[in-house]
Amino acid sequence: MIRLQNVNKDYGGRPALVNTNLNIGLGEFAFLVGPSGAGKSTLMRLLYREEVPSSGKVFIGGVDITRIHARQVPLLRRRLGIVFQDYKLLPRQTVFDNVAYILRALGVDQSSINRRVTSALCVVNLEDKAKAYPDELSGGEQQRVGIARAIVNGPPVLLADEPTGNLDPQTSLEIVQLLERISSRGTTVLISTHDQFIVNSLRRRVISLRNGEIVSDVDSGTYEMEVKVATP
Amino acid sequence: MRQLRILARVGMETILGMRKSGWSNWLVIGILAVALTIFGGVLQLTMTLKNVVNAWGSQLEISAYLKDGYDPKAIAREISQLPQVSLVEIVPKDVAWRDMQSSFRVAGVNNPLPNTLHVRLNSMQVVEKTANKLQKIKAVEHVRYPLKVARNINRLRHFLELAGIIVTGALTTATLIVIGNTIHLVIEARQREIEILSLMGVNPWYIKGPLVLQGAAYGLGASLLSLIILFGVNIYADSYVREQLLSFLPLLPNNMEYGLLPTFIILLLLGVAVGAGGSAWTSGRYIKV
Ligand SMILES: Nc1ncnc2c1ncn2[C@@H]1O[C@H](COP(=O)(O)OP(=O)(O)OP(=O)(O)O)[C@@H](O)[C@H]1O
Ligand SMILES: [Mg+2]
Repeated sequence: MIRLQNVNKDYGGRPALVNTNLNIGLGEFAFLVGPSGAGKSTLMRLLYREEVPSSGKVFIGGVDITRIHARQVPLLRRRLGIVFQDYKLLPRQTVFDNVAYILRALGVDQSSINRRVTSALCVVNLEDKAKAYPDELSGGEQQRVGIARAIVNGPPVLLADEPTGNLDPQTSLEIVQLLERISSRGTTVLISTHDQFIVNSLRRRVISLRNGEIVSDVDSGTYEMEVKVATP
Repeated sequence: MRQLRILARVGMETILGMRKSGWSNWLVIGILAVALTIFGGVLQLTMTLKNVVNAWGSQLEISAYLKDGYDPKAIAREISQLPQVSLVEIVPKDVAWRDMQSSFRVAGVNNPLPNTLHVRLNSMQVVEKTANKLQKIKAVEHVRYPLKVARNINRLRHFLELAGIIVTGALTTATLIVIGNTIHLVIEARQREIEILSLMGVNPWYIKGPLVLQGAAYGLGASLLSLIILFGVNIYADSYVREQLLSFLPLLPNNMEYGLLPTFIILLLLGVAVGAGGSAWTSGRYIKV
């Protein structure tokens, strides 16, 4: 479902991703881990075409998205659910309207909107907050709105770049378990994180990045943050 | 059906967006209305004056005095073949002489007057050229026409055309800048929202549509406002202007007035086009996918 082929990404000559190859199958669930600056967000941004690689190919569902026209990028993004560390909710719209936005923009009829938004809110267990505004919610609840919004259009792939970065450990675990539940229904899920607690709690596939290179990729892995030793 | 829902949605987003802009909507509409009113006023005035000048000019005529021994009818026919000539009037020497005698009572003299042709043109710009052309006809002794008046009329017409173009250009530019800045401010205020929508895969035209409509709404509102102002001014100024014109132009044509309706249509189209165009340009510039 997700495939990177010899991908390099430089920022002004400085490499952020080096000769990266990766393959994530349909319905798989994987963590992308690594220390700060390892290139996790860079890899994510390549997947939703916020960036294009300096060289190499990026496939989503068999389509090389480095070669699609700018006009097709919105279509690509609607086939991906994207979850952000800072939630990126529309502050002046209710929970319901946030989740419904993309469906309205696509001209979906009102009764389908009601049905699909309600069911998405049900998945994240927030039906009773439909009329609330984002600033009336806790961080965990806001992130659940973000997840409901990401899944409301039924995307085959869900990308989450540090979805728990701003949350406490208990809430983080709940969020990741929620994503795991969504994955179990057939959605391919990729989560970037440097939270070893949640990675080690779930024991799923772990892809480790360091200095822009994939240094390990194990099926039911763990993640130990290395303690930086100051070099003289 | 789906397209219709999207259209309705874009309209709704426009209204929601404009509601957020609050009083600044009225500021923009006010500024635009002033620009459009000046434009409309100048347009109205130049067009009316142009009509007056044209009517005035069409009363100018070239007098061609013919040599004896030529048939005035034949010459008149020849001259009326020229495309710029609208009317040739023959004044035979006998008639002219009789007229003269009736007022001066000169007797015992042979008729010294030539046959005369009064030539009217359909365009003032060619008076001099035509006069020169007539002069070259063998039967024509000499021609006479009010050279200074013809030149002044042409100069006035050119001036009016130039003034119209300059005013239109300046006000259109000013309008574009006002609309562009307003929409730019809206985009800046909504920067984060726009980024979110783009990441969600909302089509760019769905994001830009409401902004373009907002610009068009400004143009529409402003042109309607300026229409009301112009209509009011017209009621009061019309008779005054007519009086002023009559005082130095005794032979005022009846239909010299340039109707308000064309001006209204032009204002409406210009307002909406500039409004929508200005904001389309700005959104294209500042909203990237
Ligand atoms: N827009 C950019 N311009 C220039 N350099 C960038 C840009 N984005 C990222 N980088 C650089 O690329 C490298 C990888 O950054 P990236 O954001 O992918 O790391 P990360 O693994 O997501 O880190 P973190 O855990 O802190 O989010 C870093 O060295 C960073 O400075
Ligand atoms: Mg990052």
